[in-house]
Amino acid sequence: MSQLDILLVLLRVAFGAFVPLCFIAALVWLERRGAAFFQDRAGPNRCNIFGFRAAGLVQNLADAVKLIFKEDVIPGHSRHKFYFVLAPLIVFVCALVSFAVVPFADALVIEGKQYLMQGIPMDLGILWFLAITGFAVYGIILAGWSSHNKYGVLGGLRASAQVISYEIPMGLALVSLLAVYGTVNLGEMVHFQGRLLFGFIPMWGVVLQPLGAIIFIVAAFAETNRTPFDLAEGESEIVAGFHIEYSSMKFALFFMGEYVAMFVSSSLIVTLFFGGYQIPWLATETLVANARPVALLLLVVIPIAAALFSGWIRKNNKSHYDRPKDPRVFEAKVYIGLIWMMVIVLEAVLAGYWLYAAGGAADRILVVLLQIATFLVKTFMMCFVYVWVRWTLPRFRYDQLQKLGWKMLLPLALLNIFITSAVVVALS
Amino acid sequence: MSASIKVMERKGSSFLEKIFLLEIFKGMWVTLGHFWSNLCDNSRLYVRHYPEVKPEITPRWRGRHRLTTHDDGSVKCVACFMCQTNCPAKCIMIEAGERMDGKSEKVPVRFDIDLLECIYCGYCVEACPMDAIRMDTGIFSVTSYDRESVYMRIDTLLATEGAFDEKEYKKGGA
Repeated sequence: MSQLDILLVLLRVAFGAFVPLCFIAALVWLERRGAAFFQDRAGPNRCNIFGFRAAGLVQNLADAVKLIFKEDVIPGHSRHKFYFVLAPLIVFVCALVSFAVVPFADALVIEGKQYLMQGIPMDLGILWFLAITGFAVYGIILAGWSSHNKYGVLGGLRASAQVISYEIPMGLALVSLLAVYGTVNLGEMVHFQGRLLFGFIPMWGVVLQPLGAIIFIVAAFAETNRTPFDLAEGESEIVAGFHIEYSSMKFALFFMGEYVAMFVSSSLIVTLFFGGYQIPWLATETLVANARPVALLLLVVIPIAAALFSGWIRKNNKSHYDRPKDPRVFEAKVYIGLIWMMVIVLEAVLAGYWLYAAGGAADRILVVLLQIATFLVKTFMMCFVYVWVRWTLPRFRYDQLQKLGWKMLLPLALLNIFITSAVVVALS
Repeated sequence: MSASIKVMERKGSSFLEKIFLLEIFKGMWVTLGHFWSNLCDNSRLYVRHYPEVKPEITPRWRGRHRLTTHDDGSVKCVACFMCQTNCPAKCIMIEAGERMDGKSEKVPVRFDIDLLECIYCGYCVEACPMDAIRMDTGIFSVTSYDRESVYMRIDTLLATEGAFDEKEYKKGGA
């Protein structure tokens, strides 16, 4: 292996491991401030370091410090302490590992060698994801059972029943998707979605499989135990469900596992149905061929976006009551300064690329970076949908949940398979 | 007179409502509207910036207690023990002494209110025949790091001023 090989392996593994972890902070922030804004509240915005609140992101640090310093209780009445400790690990690790097969950019071609842009470059694709997320529910069941607590057991039971009912429509929705794409490899699926339907519509999964997309998204919500399907937690009914006996970092692992699972299933929904890293109408080869105009476009677009963003900060980051020498105005000025510094650095890099490095490997790297950015933006949007749904819909009742799973989603998924396979056979 | 009956229209049984999706999208559209308008201009949030901006307290609000005085500054309280007897939380402790200025026979030498016990029911104010104890200070936040500083003694109770003028207070029904 050359040095480049090793470097790229490290980079990919680091991306696969650290991006979900970084997204925890972003998602907790998105959830809390998003919830507040949906309900016309302000959300956590007081926590600061020297007056810098980073729009409430500093609250995450305070939460982490609180959780680390809390007493780590293992209930004395539990006779299965090993499983009790193991359960949060299973939940967290399964959520993290299932991201490994999601491609976050098109294969990077340097000096004639192909580097697949995913944590673990293998062909299992969607099967890996199904296997690992199916395993994650063991963590929840184990947690509920080893807590030796009524609410815990009820939460674990609900989780297992829910996963059994919703993995079936999920898998069936995938079957019709596989019939369309003809592969289980996620990278090839995204390649497929880079083409155009009738020459002008991007051939995304959601266009080809609208019913499948709805079924899959609903089932994915149920798989990640998010509202409206968070019966395993059900604060109002079974207190906290499976993690009722957990405290300190063990609880934090469940908590982070939930957000990593949310990120991973968002990224999978994006990969399967919303074109993954593909920029609409601009396939990888088009981008590589037109790298110079794209860079020029970025040179123009980045300062405009930064100007809009800093205008928004200036408008909103001020105190809404009488305050002499408002410190938030100063804070906003610092943020705006930082944004423009970042813009200058980006512009310098792009200008350097434009002048010296255009053509060859630099084009490929630029395209990969663009695709990573696209992928992350799309995934973030999908995570926002998760938050949005959570703060709009009430929780399903248990029998409604099972009715929806078995009486509606399952027949619809079967119907979808029937129609899809008929169309696929007719067209081939 | 016949009872007026309003027949409520039952919703949720039509086909469109039964497949959920359309109604879900309608609801999500509503919440997105709130999110977007708050994101664009966060002065639209229905929020009081509490520690800096205090809420308006009406004269009828039962806040922290105080003891009132005559115009010459002497205590109105005659140590009749009405408030202490009435107190459901048993948080008032009075010790009576002889009064020398001729206004009445007794005067409290000790008048303690344990605010950690107090349930702010206002029975002491209603029981008082002399209008000597009132809860019109407008102090609504009684918090501290130690128990001693929320144990009110007669000097603190006398030193606290009422937050409203006499007319406003009487309007409240006292």
